[in-house]
Amino acid sequence: MATTSAHATAAAEPHHEPSFVRKYIFSTDHKVIGIQFLFMSLFFLLIGGLLAGVIRWQLGWPTNPDMPLPGGGLLPETMVNQGIVLPEFYNSAVTMHGTIMIFFAIMPLLVGVYANYLIPLQIGAPDMAFPKLNMASFWTAAPAGVIMLAGFFVAGGHSGAGWTQYPPLSANPEFSGVYMGQQLWLISMIVLGFSSLMGAVNYVTTVINMRAPGMTWFRLPLATWALFVTAVLILLAVPVLTGALILLLFDQTIGTTFFSPEYGGEPLLWQHLFWFFGHPEVYILILPAMGFVSEIIAAGSRKPIFGYHAMVLAIIAIAFLGWGVWGHHMFQSGMNPTLGMGFMATTMVIAVPSAIKVFNWLATMWRGDLHFHTPMLHAVAFVGMFVIGGLSGVFVASTPVDIFLHDTYFVVAHIHYVLFGGSLFALYAAITFWYPKMFGRMMNPLLGKLHFWLTVLFFNLTFFPMHNLGIAGMMRRIYDPNQYEFLRPMQELNTMISIAALLLIGTQLIFAFNFFWSLFRGEPAPANPWRANSLEWAAPSPPPHGNFARTPVVYRGPYEYSSPLSVEDYLPQDDPPAEGPEPVPAPATSH
Amino acid sequence: MSGMQISIRVLIVPAVLLAFGCGGGGDGDADTGGAAAADAVQVDEATAGRVVGTVSFEGQPPAPQPINMSEEPTCAEKHEGQPMNPVAVVGADGGLKNVYVHVKEGLPQGSWPAPSEAAVLDQDGCVYIPHVVGVQVGQTLEIKNSDGLLHNINAKPSEQRGFNVSQPTNMTTERTFSQPEVMIPVECDVHGWMEAYIGVSEHPYFVVTGEDGSFEIANLPPGDYVIEAWHEEYGTQTQNVTVPASGEARAEFSYSASMAGAFVPLGEPIDPHGRHALAAGGH
Repeated sequence: MATTSAHATAAAEPHHEPSFVRKYIFSTDHKVIGIQFLFMSLFFLLIGGLLAGVIRWQLGWPTNPDMPLPGGGLLPETMVNQGIVLPEFYNSAVTMHGTIMIFFAIMPLLVGVYANYLIPLQIGAPDMAFPKLNMASFWTAAPAGVIMLAGFFVAGGHSGAGWTQYPPLSANPEFSGVYMGQQLWLISMIVLGFSSLMGAVNYVTTVINMRAPGMTWFRLPLATWALFVTAVLILLAVPVLTGALILLLFDQTIGTTFFSPEYGGEPLLWQHLFWFFGHPEVYILILPAMGFVSEIIAAGSRKPIFGYHAMVLAIIAIAFLGWGVWGHHMFQSGMNPTLGMGFMATTMVIAVPSAIKVFNWLATMWRGDLHFHTPMLHAVAFVGMFVIGGLSGVFVASTPVDIFLHDTYFVVAHIHYVLFGGSLFALYAAITFWYPKMFGRMMNPLLGKLHFWLTVLFFNLTFFPMHNLGIAGMMRRIYDPNQYEFLRPMQELNTMISIAALLLIGTQLIFAFNFFWSLFRGEPAPANPWRANSLEWAAPSPPPHGNFARTPVVYRGPYEYSSPLSVEDYLPQDDPPAEGPEPVPAPATSH
Repeated sequence: MSGMQISIRVLIVPAVLLAFGCGGGGDGDADTGGAAAADAVQVDEATAGRVVGTVSFEGQPPAPQPINMSEEPTCAEKHEGQPMNPVAVVGADGGLKNVYVHVKEGLPQGSWPAPSEAAVLDQDGCVYIPHVVGVQVGQTLEIKNSDGLLHNINAKPSEQRGFNVSQPTNMTTERTFSQPEVMIPVECDVHGWMEAYIGVSEHPYFVVTGEDGSFEIANLPPGDYVIEAWHEEYGTQTQNVTVPASGEARAEFSYSASMAGAFVPLGEPIDPHGRHALAAGGH
């Protein structure tokens, strides 16, 4: 008869106490590095959210002196003059909202935080394979963030060429009026790419080499599977972007013309290179979210995940197929229509493994003992929002429809249903789910649910009507839609969207308050508050340096909920069968 | 460990300096207070003289070019009749408007405090008013948008940092310049016909001619000076004058249509009678 295992492997191994700097700043502990990434990413999430507020204020009340931007007086006159957002700052705000949210908020939240924090804990390892490389990864990402933010302070303002940085606008300062800001954008992204590569090498090596005894590939939690496959995608995709960034930086600084058509360069080369990275990047931003949600839905439903092997294969299939779809971003670039048809077909095929995952989540919940705690609510919302985002993706993946919808607000709605409705809801699920493990305290459930319901409400009020704006022809990145007569009838809708968006931003203050308040006042967390099975719940909350007193031995998969072998409704991976062997002593750690 | 900390500082310190040391978020802000902290020149008003003169245009002035303003009916309505390009505006007596005249050489060493009163460059009817404006180093230039529609002011100096700032509606933007420069072209990228020129002087002895082409530069200390006249189409000319104590010196400049297109580097004198006009193939 199995019992809970939290106490079986929980005792912290005594270590010498490192200095403050070694423990919290230049730490090699994967958990500290994960938390460092967490605070850095949340800071950038705030910056990205504020930029979204600037964008929505301008679109809600475009160039209206009677509605000055709140706090605009704090910004220099080159950004906001007499309360009015200037067009060049609007371009920067749109560019930096996308850049910061994708590269400095969501991507590090998904990968930097949870690959670091979860992988060693879920596979039963004391740390990453290369702890110092791990530390270097964070301390490369942080300067990249500083460099990126520095662009707001230099002459000419920050890059305004969009997060996709299409040349020749991005290549020639004459066209944009942005000089150093543009170069800082490129340098920051190159530096950040090195950080991603250092992290990815670590994640892949750790999963392959450091799994606990008994942790076979098909006993890995789906979160770890997703993070592992994501790391492989990063290893293959990021160098393509970095190479393209270096070429673009050369065009900017030393007069090369890789992307300048007047000297034989090719702007479309950038689009191919960027999207050859960019579409796998989309899956980098969604696969970990799928992994987290799988963990939480199984635990919240008290049922084994439906179709574990199919879920793993779907992750691999999405990652594999993701390499053959980049052209669907370029249907309007003059691409040969026959080639466009091919990209349309490959894109449609990706819907199959995505649908497998959605149906398996639904099947997991079907007739489950559903516990709608805060993480579960966010996870269920992820499924719903991801379906909407996926279906709108089918629209724009269709070449005839994309002619009409390309570069409109329909695309803005689509990407936000995927990246906010998908990735960010999954991140809220993950943060609230693993918060007790990370900080040893529970988040306030009442505030958590209030934040959830208001976020769902205002999220949909903000982004669903954007489909209508797109169908009406409103262009993405437009500064003042009212300059076009055919868009003036949409102004009331734009104002409503802006009010909802500002309320959505305000709602996040509840989360921020809950996060920081609970750090100090939250109820102490037990080792396994969600009664889940994977190995991280076998360690104390928070886990000590080295994670496990003894190397855990894994006897089963991570989703044995409501098992007839257990008196309780869960059966931890390391809970030995009645006749199981003794645990193996942990190897000594050098840090 | 210490080596790693040092290398991290090497990365962080320049970034922080970049962030907080490069000044103020955007273009133009750094163009303040560039004048040397030398002693201010005191001019004895009892002995000060002046330079007066006229800039005239010889021969038949070129026909003004009409501006197609149909894309901005709001602006077109502000003009009586067809809006015209203001290049080579010649008055009834042959005076040439919009010539920037300034003292190029001869002033005593020292600094010249910038006036507290701002110069104004307005955008009204989708043209710059005035077409040529002079400011002193450190003096505020108020750039106004009286049209209530989107303009951008793209200033392209060669001696200092330029700026490119938008004004989406009625508003005022202030800028200063840190270096003397004759002249700084200004364009609006939204309305391709909009052009203006800013003359930046380190002293207050400059003027832009009006309709009759006349000018006066007053309150000059007695002495020998080089007076320079600049016109956007016909280039620069210089004259030497001697200003007597409490007296007046005259400087007469004359341009002709044949000077148009002459390649004369700014600051270099050109022949007012057009002997080298078109010699170098235009500009």
